[in-house]
Amino acid sequence: MTPRDLIVDVLLGLGVGAEIVCCLGVLAMRNAYDRLHYAAAGTTLGPLLIGAAVLVRESVSSAGIETIVAVAFLFLLGPVLTHATARAAVLLDRGTLAASAAEREAGS
Amino acid sequence: MNVFLIAASALLLALVPCGIVIMRAPAIDGVVALELGGALTTLALLCLAEGYRRGIYFGVALISAALVWVGGLVYVRLLGRGP
Repeated sequence: MTPRDLIVDVLLGLGVGAEIVCCLGVLAMRNAYDRLHYAAAGTTLGPLLIGAAVLVRESVSSAGIETIVAVAFLFLLGPVLTHATARAAVLLDRGTLAASAAEREAGS
Repeated sequence: MNVFLIAASALLLALVPCGIVIMRAPAIDGVVALELGGALTTLALLCLAEGYRRGIYFGVALISAALVWVGGLVYVRLLGRGP
């Protein structure tokens, strides 16, 4: 086993481990807001580590560039989706996005 | 069976908890689990492409990443409108 293989194994193991923790977190949490924390982590940390593992193996080839683009899609656009989901959850809960009087008081 | 194929299998197994949440939790929680499931599927496709050493399969993962995001936004938009 070369050092390069070892690096790939470690990155891949950490990435898959992070994704599994996120899945268990989504399963264990009790409401959409708590679940969103884990889902958001699942689109940032895991993809970076797994993408890095593929890049170490492939270097900058056609496959490597496609990996970079796919991981960038998940990493950069995932938070947009998380924000939109949280917004929809608030709308479903309260019927409005406006802060309540107690929240306004706490914020000022 | 190389390390990337093992990783892909583990990622596909990780879809099971997401499926449980989708089936049993309220709709908005299901959308959250669906978003995570989409990311898992994309990563599993990346690992499968690398595991089988087929460069052309990486395109599938790329398209999956894009469609998962668009699909998530459509579901969120639909749910945000309310009943």
